[in-house]
Amino acid sequence: LIMKDNSLKLVSSEQALKDLGLNEHQLRFTCRVQLQDQSPEQETLSRVYTHLKSVLKGFSVQLLPDGTVMVESILIKVSSSPEDPDSKTLLLSWSYQDEDLGSFLSSLLKKGLPAALC
Amino acid sequence: LEEPPAVLAPKTLLSGAVPLEAFLATLQKHGFTEVKVEETADGHILHLQAEDTLIQLEEDGTHIVCDNNEPLRTTLRDLVLRFLQKL
Repeated sequence: LIMKDNSLKLVSSEQALKDLGLNEHQLRFTCRVQLQDQSPEQETLSRVYTHLKSVLKGFSVQLLPDGTVMVESILIKVSSSPEDPDSKTLLLSWSYQDEDLGSFLSSLLKKGLPAALC
Repeated sequence: LEEPPAVLAPKTLLSGAVPLEAFLATLQKHGFTEVKVEETADGHILHLQAEDTLIQLEEDGTHIVCDNNEPLRTTLRDLVLRFLQKL
């Protein structure tokens, strides 16, 4: 809600920032999570997807064609190094606006994937 | 956090910028003493060597890249937030 020219109007927060002559500052986090997992990257990714889909009822969880799992606006990618095919690195990336969910997902994935799915 | 957040919190927008020198002094004060600063086209990259963490500082954005270490991440997050306005 901003007051301009003696009248009040309701605008989006992004618009309000612009009207006030302020710049928006994006704060992002990327966290590396190590997983012990021997399966190929694609398989790890689909297990992450299945796991999150079952835990996060009511949230949007998508497996994108470019090999990313997306939970609301949080991106999750899997990478592995050729020297150590038994371990995978998950990269979780989120913005400050998704702080609660990002923080929850990083602690959830730190516990690993459920054994029943192995 | 044991349960996923029940509702997504309303968006908080951030405004302002993080000044390099003042931020470096704040890091130093909080025990981050081994910081390598690299200049980029749009700002600076700070490498916290002991923590193996990168902080990319730009005029309109900050990106923190670290291992899954919540205490470290939230400390760095709060230090960055000191320089920004919440709206």
